[in-house]
Amino acid sequence: MIKAKPKPLQEIQQYVAPYESVLIVGCGGCVSVCLAGGQREVNLLKTEMELAHFQTHTAKRMQGYTVERQCNPALIKELDPYIESADCVVSIACGAGVQLLAEKYPGKPVFPGVNTIAIGVDLDIGLYEERCRACGECVLAYTGGICPVTRCAKGLFNGPCGGTNGDKCEISNEINCAWHEIYSRLKAQDRLDDILKIQPPMEWKNQVKRTIVQKGYEERYIEPK
Amino acid sequence: MESNTNPTPDKPVIQSILAEHKKQIKIGLTMCAHCSLCAESCFLYMSHEGDPQYMPSYKFLHSVGRLYKKKGDVSRAQLETMRDLVFENCVLCTRCYCPMGIDIPALITLGRRICRSQNLFRNYDR
Repeated sequence: MIKAKPKPLQEIQQYVAPYESVLIVGCGGCVSVCLAGGQREVNLLKTEMELAHFQTHTAKRMQGYTVERQCNPALIKELDPYIESADCVVSIACGAGVQLLAEKYPGKPVFPGVNTIAIGVDLDIGLYEERCRACGECVLAYTGGICPVTRCAKGLFNGPCGGTNGDKCEISNEINCAWHEIYSRLKAQDRLDDILKIQPPMEWKNQVKRTIVQKGYEERYIEPK
Repeated sequence: MESNTNPTPDKPVIQSILAEHKKQIKIGLTMCAHCSLCAESCFLYMSHEGDPQYMPSYKFLHSVGRLYKKKGDVSRAQLETMRDLVFENCVLCTRCYCPMGIDIPALITLGRRICRSQNLFRNYDR
C-alpha cells in the first residue's frame, strides 16, 4: 500500500497562514493503515494546529473530516458542504487524493499535509519499508522478486555497478547491494540464466499521465480508432 | 464534522445523517429480498467460508439498516459492534453486486460515516 509521512507542523502552518478557516481532510484508505492520514491523525493535527494558533494568537476556525477514500470521486462528494464553508483545505491523503480534491474543488486552495513516500510493506505497526516505485515496467520476474529500481541506489537494470562492495552498496555499508541479493536469490533458485538476460532501458513515462484501463474495460473507456 | 468523543452517542448527529439519506436507506431496506446473491460477489465472504457476517447485505442491514429502524437511538456498545462490522468485515472494494440494484457500498460507506461522526473508526495500531 501507499505509505506517507506527516509533514512538519510548521510547514502546514505556513500554507494556511493567509486563511481564516481551515478544513483538514483525512482518508480512510492507505494513509490510515500507515498511521499518517486517517481520522485519528485528522483529530491530532486539528488539535496541534489549534494549540499552535492559540499560542501565536492567530486563531483560526478549524474543522476535520475523514472520507473513506480521497482517490474516489464518488466518496469525496460528501465533502461539498464542508469545503464550501472553508477558506482552504489541508489534505492528509496521498498525492493522488490531494490532486483529486484540488481538481474537484478548483476554487479552493488544497495543501498536502503529508509527504507521500512509497508503495511499501508493513514491517510492524508504524514501521514501513519501500518496495515499489510504480515505474510501470515490472522486471521482478527476472530479478528474483527483488526490485532493482527501488532497492538499487542507482536503479540499475543489468547487474551491479563497479562500486559494489561485496554484498554492500557503495553509498553505505549499512545498505545491502540489491544486485548481490538478486544474484544470491536467483542462484538459490537455480535461475541464474535470468540474470544474463539483458533488460532494455526503462521507458520512463513520468512525463505523461499514466491511465490504467483494465482488460475487459477497453470498450467502455477507449474510443475505437 | 465535529467528532463525538463522549461515551454516549450524539443522537441528533446520527439522526441528521440518517435523514439526509433517508430515501436511499428506505429503498435499500425495501428492495433487499434477502436473496443472498450479493454474498458471492464479496471476496471476504468467500474467503471466510461463507460466514454470513461477511455478506454485503448483512453488513448493510445490521449497520445502517438497524440504525434507521431504531431512529438512531443506539448505545455506544451497539455502535462499536457496527463499527467492527463496517470497518473490519469490509474493505470497501465496492465490488459487491445486488441484482435488485441496491448500492450496497454506498450504504456501508454511510455506516462508516455515522461511526466516524461518533469518533468510532478502525484502529490500525491495535
